[in-house]
Amino acid sequence: MLAQLLSSAADGIVVAAILAVAAMGFTLQFSLTNVLNLSFGAVMTIGGFTAYLVNVAGLSPWLGLALGTLAGALATVLLGRGVLRLYARRRTQLFEMMMVTLGMSLVIDYGIQAISQNAIYGYTVLQAQPIRMGPIAVTPIQVGIIGIALVLLVAVEAALHLTKLGKALRATAVEPSLARSCGIKTSRVVLVTWLVSGGLCGLAGVVYIISTQSVDYTTGELFLPLVIAAAILGGVGSLRGAVVASLVMGLVTEIVAGFGGAAYSTVAGFAILVVVLLLHPGAVFGGAEDRQLVL
Amino acid sequence: MGGSMALGAADPLVAPIPGAPVLEARDVAVGYGGVRAVDGVSLAIRPGEVVGIIGPNGAGKSSFLGALGGQVKRSRGQILLGSRDVSQLPPHDRARLGLVRTFQTTSEFARMTVFENLVTAAEGDSGASLKAVILHPGRTHLREQELAQRAFGIMERFEMTHTADLYGRELSGGQRRLVEIMRCLVRHPRVLLLDEPMVGVAPHLTGKLIDDLRAIAAEGLGILVVEHALEVVRRLCDRVVVMAFGKVIAAGEFEEVVADPQVQAAYLS
Amino acid sequence: MGAWSFYITTLLVYFVVDALSAFSLNLQFGYAGVVNFGFIVFQAAGAYVAAVVTLGPSGPASFQQYILGSHLPFPLDLLAATLAGALLSFVVGLFALRRMRRDYQAAVLLIVSLIALQVVSADVPLFNGSNGLTGVTWPFGQLFGATATGSPYLYLGYAAVIGVLVCLGVIWLSRSPWGRSLRAMRDHEDAASAMGLNITSLRLQVFVLGGAIAGLSGGLLVEYIGAWSPGAWGYAETFVIFTAIFVGGVGNYRGVLVGTLLVPIIFLEIPRFLPAIGYPGLTDSLEWVVVGLAWMLCLLFRPRGIIPERRLKAARPASPLETAPAEGSA
Repeated sequence: MLAQLLSSAADGIVVAAILAVAAMGFTLQFSLTNVLNLSFGAVMTIGGFTAYLVNVAGLSPWLGLALGTLAGALATVLLGRGVLRLYARRRTQLFEMMMVTLGMSLVIDYGIQAISQNAIYGYTVLQAQPIRMGPIAVTPIQVGIIGIALVLLVAVEAALHLTKLGKALRATAVEPSLARSCGIKTSRVVLVTWLVSGGLCGLAGVVYIISTQSVDYTTGELFLPLVIAAAILGGVGSLRGAVVASLVMGLVTEIVAGFGGAAYSTVAGFAILVVVLLLHPGAVFGGAEDRQLVL
Repeated sequence: MGGSMALGAADPLVAPIPGAPVLEARDVAVGYGGVRAVDGVSLAIRPGEVVGIIGPNGAGKSSFLGALGGQVKRSRGQILLGSRDVSQLPPHDRARLGLVRTFQTTSEFARMTVFENLVTAAEGDSGASLKAVILHPGRTHLREQELAQRAFGIMERFEMTHTADLYGRELSGGQRRLVEIMRCLVRHPRVLLLDEPMVGVAPHLTGKLIDDLRAIAAEGLGILVVEHALEVVRRLCDRVVVMAFGKVIAAGEFEEVVADPQVQAAYLS
Repeated sequence: MGAWSFYITTLLVYFVVDALSAFSLNLQFGYAGVVNFGFIVFQAAGAYVAAVVTLGPSGPASFQQYILGSHLPFPLDLLAATLAGALLSFVVGLFALRRMRRDYQAAVLLIVSLIALQVVSADVPLFNGSNGLTGVTWPFGQLFGATATGSPYLYLGYAAVIGVLVCLGVIWLSRSPWGRSLRAMRDHEDAASAMGLNITSLRLQVFVLGGAIAGLSGGLLVEYIGAWSPGAWGYAETFVIFTAIFVGGVGNYRGVLVGTLLVPIIFLEIPRFLPAIGYPGLTDSLEWVVVGLAWMLCLLFRPRGIIPERRLKAARPASPLETAPAEGSA
């Protein structure tokens, strides 16, 4: 019982680390642009498949990690700059933007389905004998993933608070028109945000498939509910909040799965958001009805 | 048109109740995460009275109106409609009890005709329920005809009959304000809250609207109006309340209030 | 009967089912402004329930496992499907329809759709997991000793009668004072509630009613095709119906019918007549890509559809200030 709990908790922390990488990216771009980007899952899949292709080509899995990150960043910039800007120019409302990102998600998901011949591909890289500590068994790569998540949290937080660009980003997220009148080039800020958040998204896709050891066209889509739930639960725009929420979600989903409810693990994670929503409607979903689009 | 506002006994525009205040706010406060937008405002409106709220930008006027209407969550205080405490009621229940309002940015139903705007408002209680529509189609039909008449009656009074079949989004700014006010009146309200009703109304029409509103109040309706244009306030309101930084800093007749040095300081700061 | 007439009949049954879905979604989206990105889940619920209540008890001998197995006679099977859709939408509506940003609301419903698919695929004892249910029969047909696919004309007539009745009901409700309140809520929620409309209740009503119709459509579909599995209700299916509504005309039922004919029927069937390309299933994937692109183009050019929403003119009373009943028209 306790052994099961401990081993599930260890798995939970690994899932939390993956989730945290994605949720940090999601919350970053959502807080700045105010676009609820439903194509985030699809971009994760792009990152995952890129890493898979690198592996097929016989190159280093670390290169796969780097190129997957890059692919996520480029895809996000392309979608944000290329597609969403097109709609912004036609005065598309915030809500319709969300619908646009859904269309992008359909196109990417099923485009990948077409190219990948609707098959599931194994991705077993960087696997090694697990380190055993009593009931807990973690592989070195899992420890690595947790490390990556922590380093990213510290690095992005530091960048937001210490660099000029980071400060500009935070200012723009709070009050875009004021930021603009203070001479901040919001368009550049948005570009950097697409790059960074897209990179986090692609990276999350790669570490996710390293963890699940397979990739197919639904990979990102299946993970998306938890990412959105963690980003919203953590408070939009808060990196630390996203990480804490990811930890809660990771632990809950894995413990539920560990005790026989594998089919309902995502439900359990999402249920946390619903419960918080029911208890404190204002805390999670308060206000912000008429936030403006920043692209 | 002021004189012609007198109404037939068959169709009273408002349901007057004599005597005591029709709306009373006691120590109402609104806080947004640490910021006190409204900090302990009390006021009372009697039937037939037009009360104005003025004050510099950010004084908390609109938040106060929102607290009265139920759109904004109040952090403390009581709101009495007649003798009934409505503080805990959601907006639609307050509306059903006779407390209706307009909004700072016009809130017409954009993809509905003016006629539909009015009829929907009039029906905003039991008449439109799914149960009534399905189980009592005959009664619903009769009620529809009755409401159509009421709606056209009001449009006639505001000389808006020609706009009956125009969509809300096809109207001018001034017409939208009128639609909002007409929509409130078809509900036979006891209290009318108006948030900057003159914004967007052409200057040569404000005089007429002021006369109309005074005539409506004269039939026993309490009106609370937030307004920036002091000239409008002077002509429209019986009493004026001045708000600054969430508090009432002065109240009384227009002339004495604007002469108050504290009020002048608040406006100048 | 020939292969061609069987094919056409099948398409017409699909058309009835899709029209029911589109009408239901249009009531929710076009009239009430509720963006139900999880619509397909409620259709799926109806389909599963209609399947299990007609398949008979699931025993150890049966090759598929499921809950609620029984032999309900006509018309209890469709009633059960309708109730399943209504009940599920009520439960989902209780948390998903709370007052929040509209994009959050839409995202929550999409998430419900994604999660429901995972649960049903993974929890095999529920509805036989990702293999799904097969061998579903048509209880009404058993009265005449006919199966749905064995006597497609009979089934088409049966589905068409139900479809026409329900669609007429939806149109009637949309034009009723209730439907008008929905439009007011769609146009300005705060103003609608400030005029005495109970927004929470209205939204839940339209959500549950739409869910019930979705459940019914699922029941009609599964009893014809005889099988139902997670492959039939991916999140993308909802957007075929949405695209049909956009193409035809949001808020206009004639437009919605035209859109239903164009998108899920004609567009998705044309590839069957084109020469096959690539591996099996490639055209299906590409169809979804095109649906996504069509959806994005609709949003880009913001069409009001082929047939826009109709302006309902007011019937002017003969003399507004008299008490005689209102008659005549503008």
